[in-house]
Amino acid sequence: MASSFNASKKESILDLQRFLGKEICVKFTGGREVQGILKGYDQLVNITLDQTKEFIRDPIDPLIVTDETRFLGLVVCRGSSVMMVCPTEGFETIDNPY
Amino acid sequence: MLPLSLLRTGQGHQIMVELKNGETYNGYLINCDNWMNINLRNVIRTSKDSDKFWKIQSCYIRGNTIKYISVPDEIIDLVVEEEQISRPHNLSKGDNTTGRGRGRGDSNRGGRGGSTDGRGGGGAGRGRGGDSGRGRGDFSNRGGRGGRGRGDFSNRGGRGGPFQNNTA
Amino acid sequence: MSGNSGLGDEVDKKLIVVLRDGRKFIGMMRTFDQFANIVLQDTIERIYVGDCYSDKNLGVFFIRGDNVVILGEIDPDREVQEKKLKKVSWDEITKAAALEKQKKEEEELLKRKIMTESGLTIDSILNIDDF
Repeated sequence: MASSFNASKKESILDLQRFLGKEICVKFTGGREVQGILKGYDQLVNITLDQTKEFIRDPIDPLIVTDETRFLGLVVCRGSSVMMVCPTEGFETIDNPY
Repeated sequence: MLPLSLLRTGQGHQIMVELKNGETYNGYLINCDNWMNINLRNVIRTSKDSDKFWKIQSCYIRGNTIKYISVPDEIIDLVVEEEQISRPHNLSKGDNTTGRGRGRGDSNRGGRGGSTDGRGGGGAGRGRGGDSGRGRGDFSNRGGRGGRGRGDFSNRGGRGGPFQNNTA
Repeated sequence: MSGNSGLGDEVDKKLIVVLRDGRKFIGMMRTFDQFANIVLQDTIERIYVGDCYSDKNLGVFFIRGDNVVILGEIDPDREVQEKKLKKVSWDEITKAAALEKQKKEEEELLKRKIMTESGLTIDSILNIDDF
């Protein structure tokens, strides 16, 4: 256990290696949401994405994320504002499962 | 037992995480780290007003966005068991009786101090260890709170040297 | 001593935890750390509306410290008796709470409107964490 404990201290538990070249979805603190192809990353979870598109939020109620997108191209995401990362593959809206 | 060791024990179990923004994530906890960053698998994400739902294969959540985590009841017992298992092993490493000293400074090595008549020096420096170390004791009499070191305020280790003259 | 060592006395006691979003959890505090992350056992979430209340069982609960506003010792049953609170169903209470919240929001909106009209600007009601 001690070794895994130390390992987690040095590097992120997020294994971005397996997403390289694949499309991922990133949510930021502050509410923005983007989707793009993972080009690179570092241990602070700073991320570079290519062919990025951002989901536009409702101008009246910014809590609502619409399906509308805008194209951003190549972007760098700062790690400290990254809230959630997931692969777009296997990401789908579903009906109430409860 | 620290809260994060409970979370670490929860690895492999289904948990529910609510983020500060009100979204909830229901899924299997794959792993977590000291910052409470977590990896989940087979996730169902629910929007703040629980009117939208998403299925996500796996996702990473940054620790500082978490509000709370709901853990299965049995995890608390598991932590206790795990700590009992790991105890004899730790005891054999040292002579302290509360387990897990975690090193860092023994009783006669204060932080940076040096000379014995300075403010630093001997005594309880910053060390975590000795017999009030961050023990993980039984659940019932909980070693945890004893120590965490840092020594007394009055003889805080560190900075001996030039300061002696000022204080004298 | 470290920052939250004061919590040591509260271990294994029944506590009410009030979060920044106003939610209240009651449970036995089993452990805590220097960030005031806490673990509650046999947790209930309790909602109060007027003199009614309702509880929901949640089991073991891990609360991240930075959300905690208040931690206090409580006897949930005695509180109910002394304040003569009436227990209602969870559905009822959530509906009542939603209504109350809506009313508050409307009041807030009106207040903001009046204030902006008289030339005062106010920060967004929304916090960065709300997104």
